[in-house]
Formats: sequence, structure tokens, C-alpha cells
Amino acid sequence: MSGVSLKPRAPFEARVDLSGLTPEVTGPLTLRELEHKEVPCGGRRVKLAELFFVEGAPDGVLLIEIGDVRLDGVGAGMTTGELIVDGTVGAFAGRCMSGGVLRIGGEAGDFLGSEMSGGRIELAGHAGSHAGAAGSGSRRGLSGGVLVIGGDAGPRAAERQRGGLITIAGNAGEGLATDMIAGTVSVGGAIGPLMGRGMKRGTIFVDAVPELPAGFVDTGAHELVALRLLARRVPELAARLQGWTKARRIVGDTLIGGQGEVLARG
Amino acid sequence: MILNGVEIRDSFAEAFPMVGTRLIITADTPEWALIAGRTTTGFATSVIGCGCEAGIERTLGPEETPDGRPGVSLLIFAMDFGSLKKVVPLRLGQCVLTCPTTACYAGIEGGKRVPLAKTIRYFADGHQISKKIGGSKGEGMRFWRLPVMEGEFVCDEDTGSVDGVGGGNFLILARSRGEALKAAEAAVAAMMQVPGIILPFPGGVVRSGSKVGSKYKGLFASTNDAYCPTLRGTVPSQLPDTVGSVLEIVIDGVSFEAVAEATKVGITAVCALGAEGGVVAIDAGNYGGNLGPFHFKLREIMQGAGETA
Repeated sequence: MSGVSLKPRAPFEARVDLSGLTPEVTGPLTLRELEHKEVPCGGRRVKLAELFFVEGAPDGVLLIEIGDVRLDGVGAGMTTGELIVDGTVGAFAGRCMSGGVLRIGGEAGDFLGSEMSGGRIELAGHAGSHAGAAGSGSRRGLSGGVLVIGGDAGPRAAERQRGGLITIAGNAGEGLATDMIAGTVSVGGAIGPLMGRGMKRGTIFVDAVPELPAGFVDTGAHELVALRLLARRVPELAARLQGWTKARRIVGDTLIGGQGEVLARG
Repeated sequence: MILNGVEIRDSFAEAFPMVGTRLIITADTPEWALIAGRTTTGFATSVIGCGCEAGIERTLGPEETPDGRPGVSLLIFAMDFGSLKKVVPLRLGQCVLTCPTTACYAGIEGGKRVPLAKTIRYFADGHQISKKIGGSKGEGMRFWRLPVMEGEFVCDEDTGSVDGVGGGNFLILARSRGEALKAAEAAVAAMMQVPGIILPFPGGVVRSGSKVGSKYKGLFASTNDAYCPTLRGTVPSQLPDTVGSVLEIVIDGVSFEAVAEATKVGITAVCALGAEGGVVAIDAGNYGGNLGPFHFKLREIMQGAGETA
């Protein structure tokens, strides 16, 4: 097998935080050094070998076979390499990530990819609240990279987003992209009534014209060359924009002088 | 060296370094893409008087362009990067932005960045929208959307540049004007299939080839009198009595190899017409090796092209 694999020895008695245990950190270590690396578990620090079977050969790949146990901070701070989670993760997965690829086979807790500035997160299932959003007390939501959510996203996804791309295959909870500064969001399912409130710039793709907060102005349906360009340059949007010849363009939030746009199939 | 009855003279084309960039222009129809391409590259035959040399490299099918529409690929060359940075946004703003349905994209990835929408986005008066997908900070390409009366102008923020070669050339020495023109047209048609080059002069052909300097103060160039048939006998002419007309093909390219390949393809096409087509000889413009560091030696380039006595 390529890379290092972590398998829990037994159910954890407390929350385990794997923040900082990223491929670029584990790659240079020997297996023995890795086993002795300490991670927070509840109120104390515990050697990795006490929690996991640590196997394989350290390189740029880290595989965590976790099942339903929710580890926090998986892939937080990643800058390169590949981290694969066979299972479900807790809060703060991919937080402040700036590079590399994080693949999660199950679901994710709150703040997935919060303050992310680069790299790619692929989540197969649902995400908790604040996916790609600013962290608590922060003004920086996702500012670069790609966050792909295969299921639904909880409330406040893309809040204060300022760049990059978030695609949500399912529904988006209330408050999607509130106070958005820039960037692109695509939602395949339903959206909440507060979507885009306080939005300054950025683009949100939806299938049908949604109910929007006051401050959004319908400019009509338009042929936009940018749709063709995005469909070709951005693989994540290719299927979504297939066959879009026109888009209904709703601009907002004009109550704050915002020039963001919600684009619905025209 | 004789090819199909045409003498390839023991001469060389002297070329100089230029800095170039490539633009990809698309439009709703091939016709409008071509109109934009021709307008953008208009009055761009020689840096001596135009500030740049530009031309349409080739037409592009929808499957080759960033937005899936028909397009053209343009090459623009200038003497230095500073000049290129000035001239490209000017032509973009006047000729592409104004042309219905067009969009403009970067055609070169590497090298120093030449501003595109980075400069002209301000035309949108604050309504411009930028989009950058993927990549970390500083990575990836940004494009801009500028609202215009007809819809929206989409344009990449900037494009790359290359150190290219300007002034590659060869001269077609023919019996008559008609035969010289026919040979030049054959050369241009063949050379336009070579990627990475443009032929910046009208239709790819120059009738007023020049020499360096002039008897008139302040003129950098003047007619190449040694190759003017009507001056034969009055100046030290390079033309035998059988030559009645001379045309020049000038080539700019993204590399020495591209210009050399185009030169070979062009001369081969001319020689295919042969002496029977009225072509007497192929020569090249040089200034004793003092103009530029790139020397395209005709006989070396045509080596192995089927020499016949």
C-alpha cells in the first residue's frame, strides 16, 4: 500500500483532534516516529499508536479508515498531498487548507473547509453548518480552492466566502452565502430564504429562480459568454451548465450596494 | 543550389529578437471572429512605423477555443516588453472590445504577463466582474466580465509572452510581376499552415523591401535599390537581366525553429512552381550581419529538399 494508514484500535473515549496531522507532516516521519506522535484526545495528549494501528510507508498520502467515529480537524492546514478518509469526520475538516486533496467518503461536521484558501475537498455525503464559511470571529470564508459537497449543506454555507468554488449537489440550508464577498457557489437542490443576504460580489448558480431577500433585482434573461467559459474551464460546473444558453440574472444585495449575482437557468 | 530550376542563392535572412504574445479571440460566428482578428492586426506590418507587427496565426474551430465558439489566434510582436505592454491593451480596447460578440483569451501561459482586461476592465465603470476558479492565492487564471450594450465582453486578465524572432524573410526573384505574385501567393498559402508564425505584411507579401538607412536625414530605411528591377544598371544591382519583379515574404515567429520551418515551407512552395513558373532565384534580405543575431541561411534551411542541377 502507498502511504500511511490509520485504523482505530477501539472506540475513542473522547473527541480526538487530528488538526495538523497532514500528509506533509507525516510524510517525512518514520513509522515509529509517527506512532509516537501525540494528538489531543479529550483534555490530554495521546500517542497515535495508542489510538490507531499505524501501518504503511510514510509519503504524500494519508488514509484514515475511521467508519462512523468523528475525528475533528481532519486535514486542517493541509498544504499538499492527499488525505483520504474512509468514513465520516467531525468538525473543522480541511479548515485553513491551502493545498492538496482531502477526500471524505462519508459525512462531515461543521466548518468543513472553513477559511480554506486552496486545494480541493471532496465530500461524498452531507456537510454540517458553515461549510466553506468564515470561522468563528473570522471575516474570511473560503478564498480559494474547490469544495465539492455530494449531499446537502447545513446553514450558513459559504458565509463570507471571498473566492474559489463551492458546489453543493443537494440542498443548501438557510443563510447560504450571506455576506459573500466574492467566489462561486453552485447549488443543485433547494435553498433557504436568506440566500445571498448582504452579498457584495460573487456568483450563485441555482436551477430555478428562488425566493430572495429584498435587495435583489431581476435583470432578465441573458446570453452570457461567461457560462460557456466556465463550463469549459471548470470541470465541476460543466455538467451543471450543460445546455444553458441563457441565464436569468438577479443582482444583489443592492441594499448594501452589492453587485453579486444569482444565475438561474433562463 | 538549384531546386526545380530555381537558384537558391548563397545568402541568409537576418532577423532580430522581438517579444511576442498570442491572443485567442472568439465570436458567435467565424466571420465576426475573423473581422475582430483582422481589425486587431490592422496597420501592424512593421515596427518601424506601426509600433508592432501582428497577424492572424490561424483560425480556430469551436473545439479549440476556451468558450467553445469559433475563433482566431493572433500573434503580436514588439521590439521590447514595455512596447508590447502598451500596444496590446490599445488594440484590445479599440478592436476587440468594440467588435460584436467577441471575447478575448490568453494564448500563451508562460513568460512575463501582458495585461488584457487588467487594463481595460475600467471601461466598465465599476460594473466589471472578475472570476477566478480553483488554485491557491496567486495561482490560476482570472477573467473579467465587462457589461457592454450588446451583452457582456469576457476577457482574461492577462496573457503570457515569448521571446520571438522578427524579420525572417526571403526574396522571390521572378521574370514578371504576375509570376512573382503567383509564387508569393503560393508561399503564403503554404506558410500559413506552419504554427507559431505570422506574415505581418499585406496578404503576407512585401513589395517595398528595404535597406537600412537613407540619403535623407532621419529616415531609418529606404527602398532596397539593389533589388529594384527598374534601377538595374543605375545602382549596384543584385538582379540578373531575366528578373523583372521581386517580392519579399517577411516572417515573425515565436521561435527560431518556427521561422526556419516557415522559410523552408515557403521556399519549397515557390520552387514547386519552378523555372517554368517564372521563378528565377530565391534570395534573402540581410545587412551584412549587423542587424540581428538570427541568421537563416537559405542553403542550410533547404538542405535535403531535392537539389537538382
